[in-house]
Amino acid sequence: MPTLTYNDMTFAVEPRGDRWDISYALPNGANAIAGAGLLAGLPEGEATVRALALIKTVFPVGIRCVGPDVSHPNTIGDLKIIGPDVTHPNFIYWDKDSVSCPKEL
Amino acid sequence: MKINGSVALVTGGGNGIGEAVVKHLARQGAKVAVVDMVQKNIDRVVKDIKEAGGEALGIQANVTSEADTARYIKGTIEAFGQLNIAVSCAGIIRDGMMLSLDKETGKVSKKLGLDKWQAVIDTNLTGTFLCMRDAAEAMVNGGWEGLLVPISSVNKIGQVGQINYSSAKVADALMPKIIVGEFLMRGIRNIRCVAVAPGYTATPMLTGMNQDALKAILEDVHLGRLVAPEEIASLIGYCVENEAINATTIEITGGLCYPKGIAK
Ligand SMILES: NC(=O)c1ccc[n+]([C@@H]2O[C@H](COP(=O)([O-])OP(=O)(O)OC[C@H]3O[C@@H](n4cnc5c(N)ncnc54)[C@H](O)[C@@H]3O)[C@@H](O)[C@H]2O)c1
Repeated sequence: MPTLTYNDMTFAVEPRGDRWDISYALPNGANAIAGAGLLAGLPEGEATVRALALIKTVFPVGIRCVGPDVSHPNTIGDLKIIGPDVTHPNFIYWDKDSVSCPKEL
Repeated sequence: MKINGSVALVTGGGNGIGEAVVKHLARQGAKVAVVDMVQKNIDRVVKDIKEAGGEALGIQANVTSEADTARYIKGTIEAFGQLNIAVSCAGIIRDGMMLSLDKETGKVSKKLGLDKWQAVIDTNLTGTFLCMRDAAEAMVNGGWEGLLVPISSVNKIGQVGQINYSSAKVADALMPKIIVGEFLMRGIRNIRCVAVAPGYTATPMLTGMNQDALKAILEDVHLGRLVAPEEIASLIGYCVENEAINATTIEITGGLCYPKGIAK
């Protein structure tokens, strides 16, 4: 069963019939399923390569917050609170390997 | 279009109606991408589908982000090789009256904040637009047959306390007419668009509502109970398989009436 380490996360690619399940370890030691019944008919080598590509798409890493976002203040009465917020466009994902993330965006 | 063998993505698939839709489609043999903002809910739904012998991929994403939209579409196609069904279920409520008055002076004491307006428009309207647009792009470029499903609401007719939500949902309900009209102009014949407008449905979203108001509303529902998320899911499944249903918005409310019995 191939295991992959990608940015501090450990993934396992496990066969199920002619398909593959991808699971990953949670910080509390439990396991979660990232994908089930994928990559039908692929041999282990190819499934592992395709699984890693998929993991990189699905789990973007190195989340960086660029702000403040002055166009979307949260308001309490007249008070405008300008800050990072995951629902706003100032919250961006760095979708490449964290090593290539520039020190300043 | 057959559900069996098709590929579906459902935003908001980690909970409520979206969860019921992904599970229904997976049970019928679709490969499903569960897109949501909450990773632990995604993990739960993907695990359930795996245990039922289905095929599923979880993708954490914020539907208001254009980059995330591109990423969840790409992930779905990388995993399953195509895309046929896109259901935009991710939605939020941030209810409030546009103006509140001071009881003594009769003057405005509070206005609905732009934060409440913007959050609902961003999620319920922009999120749906991005999902429909990028799913359609993938279907056209891939040459795949498809169905686009924006989720509207019966409150598209205009609900007090929901100027943000009703504005977004009436716009979502218009999408099928516009999208299918444009497809016809462009010669795109193999992709349909059908919006679904649920009435009051038994999901965690309703726990955020005023429970007394909800009880009063149920008195005006002919069915006498909340609609079940699985009932919405089975309607969407039916829409996938019946290709004559197109360019329209279907209400599923259990018979919601105005007080004293005129159906809404
Ligand atoms: N429940 C009802 O009575 C009812 C009635 C009419 C219409 N609707 C509509 O149906 C849809 C689903 O509602 P529900 O009751 O299942 O709600 P819900 O709260 O149970 O589920 C909504 C899901 O969307 C996700 N979500 C919210 N914002 C997101 C974002 N920015 N990016 C990604 N995911 C996000 C949430 O994490 C959640 O899993 C919504 O569009 C809602 O407006 C619901």
